[in-house]
Amino acid sequence: MFQYVLRRLLVAVPMLLGAMSIVFFAMRVLPGDPCVAMMGDQATTEALADCTKNLGLNRPLAIQYVDYLWRSVQFDFGSSLRQGYPVSEYIARMFPHTLLLVMASAIVAALVGIPVGIVSALKRRNPLIDYPLRIFALLGLSMPVFWLGILLLIGFSLHLNLFPLIGGGDLDGVIHMIRTGDLFSNPADFLAAVGDVLHHLALPAFALGFTLAATVSRLSRSAMLEVISQDYIRTARAKGRGEWAVVYKHALRNMMVPLLTIIGLFVAIALTGTVLTETVFTRPGLGKMLVDAIGARDYPLAQGAITVFTMIIITVNLVVDMLYVVVDPRVTYK
Amino acid sequence: MAIVRDATAPELTAAGAFQEAPSRPLGRALRRYAPIGIGVVMALAMIVIAAGAPLIAPLSPSAQFADAVLKGPGAVERHALGTDEFGRDLLSRIIWGARVSLQVGLASVIFGFALGVPLGIVAGVHGGRIETCIMRGADMLMAFPTLLLALIIVTALGGTLPNEILAIGVALTPNFVRLARGLALTIREQDYIMAARALGSGQLRVMARHVFPNALYALVVVATLYIATAIRTEATLSFLGLGIPPPTPSWGNILSEGRQYIKCCPWITTFSGLAIMLAVLAFNLVGDALRDLLDPRLRGE
Repeated sequence: MFQYVLRRLLVAVPMLLGAMSIVFFAMRVLPGDPCVAMMGDQATTEALADCTKNLGLNRPLAIQYVDYLWRSVQFDFGSSLRQGYPVSEYIARMFPHTLLLVMASAIVAALVGIPVGIVSALKRRNPLIDYPLRIFALLGLSMPVFWLGILLLIGFSLHLNLFPLIGGGDLDGVIHMIRTGDLFSNPADFLAAVGDVLHHLALPAFALGFTLAATVSRLSRSAMLEVISQDYIRTARAKGRGEWAVVYKHALRNMMVPLLTIIGLFVAIALTGTVLTETVFTRPGLGKMLVDAIGARDYPLAQGAITVFTMIIITVNLVVDMLYVVVDPRVTYK
Repeated sequence: MAIVRDATAPELTAAGAFQEAPSRPLGRALRRYAPIGIGVVMALAMIVIAAGAPLIAPLSPSAQFADAVLKGPGAVERHALGTDEFGRDLLSRIIWGARVSLQVGLASVIFGFALGVPLGIVAGVHGGRIETCIMRGADMLMAFPTLLLALIIVTALGGTLPNEILAIGVALTPNFVRLARGLALTIREQDYIMAARALGSGQLRVMARHVFPNALYALVVVATLYIATAIRTEATLSFLGLGIPPPTPSWGNILSEGRQYIKCCPWITTFSGLAIMLAVLAFNLVGDALRDLLDPRLRGE
């Protein structure tokens, strides 16, 4: 087990390196001089040369590359060209917003997707149940999250006036209150702030969660179908266990391995989903930060955001791989 | 929806929900082929609309009608789906937008297929160090979600039609590599491969004449599903302002421009998004149904 973990970690390192190299070289190909982007067209030649030197852009590419890798490992992505803040500070500030959105939509997707998938697998011979569920899954798969988001905004924010049109609520305030202990001295304010955050979160979480639920329901449907056709399920039925016990005691537990794969996939899809969801709902977060950074040609910021996205995805896949061993004792690694 | 009605009518009178659906030949055939039929019709309709856009579109997609700015569907008779902020006919723009979506959808999948499948087959049949190299490369690209990878490439190269095709094609490639390698691994163990080798076929001939044709059907099925992914990715890139720049209409940039007007004129975003969804749905339906036919065990997954 320990050996496996070590080997798996060693495989993840070159993957991360490769992915970061792609980001680095893609950003070098980008048109436009970062210094011109930072200082404008009016900057003098000396000022531009000075800036190039300060950013280290006059050094050989190989040196810049090694430097970038070394700094990225320490979460130092340089400073935003437009705002001047360190990129890592930016990312740290945006991260809770994106994490909250991913978690909330994961809950929506799991609550909707897993039951839908299981029911449609178990009742696949009943067209009254199977067809609506399959149509639901197909619609969810085909509906772009940004379109669903806009439809929700038109319906619930503009016409019914039930939810805010933009923003993410005062999440920073909530975090600050938790940190300083204000939530105990001022519980009413704290609850109001939390309520406001949830109010802002509802539509985006539903939009992203719904599109993810379709993928989750398909994957859990096929996982269930795979499990339900196994011999031990037949044995359980043959020895007279009720349908409920067969499903809950035997099938669900064995579904956990495929379900873990789903979670790994899920984080990757959800993270890309946040790029769109945050843009549509004008919510602060890593995804919106990335889109804005690309639009503003703020390369260090974009580079940092993409690197962090990739790190998260590779880490999650690593953790999922290791969880297999915990969930399923039959899986052994040599 | 004919299919649902036909399949459920007898079931309603049946006593138990667990009963096997009636196996009337007509009902069964309908259940089996209706999704693919609907999908094929929708996909063909899209191809016809895209190819015949100049003939089908009622007006020019770039003509601006000063007397009909931001008019709703049917408010002015000649604009069936309304107009945008420049007084351009939305229906004509959506019809022309089908061209971009379909071109990118098909071309990027062909690109990914042409690049990924040979690599995958070589990896699967040859094995050894070459396989390790190819698969590590594919794994590295797989670490990026399709959209993120396409986004990086298209940002680096700029949003033009060929760049979008390249970006999405490259982003899809690792999927084809993995799939082709998996298929090749199974096929290379078959007796007919041994027979071919015994008859003196070289490595290249085995791959091209025996492994590839036997993997082709499964590859094409999955490629159909990736057309749906490619169309959605194209729309997403355009929506984020990284795709083909306006005034050339694409569904994504129509939707993106319409975002500013959702308060007064929701039809712009509604109809362009609907077009995206129907196109993606069409190829998903065809791909799903083809996969069911390919492997009945996977039915409905």
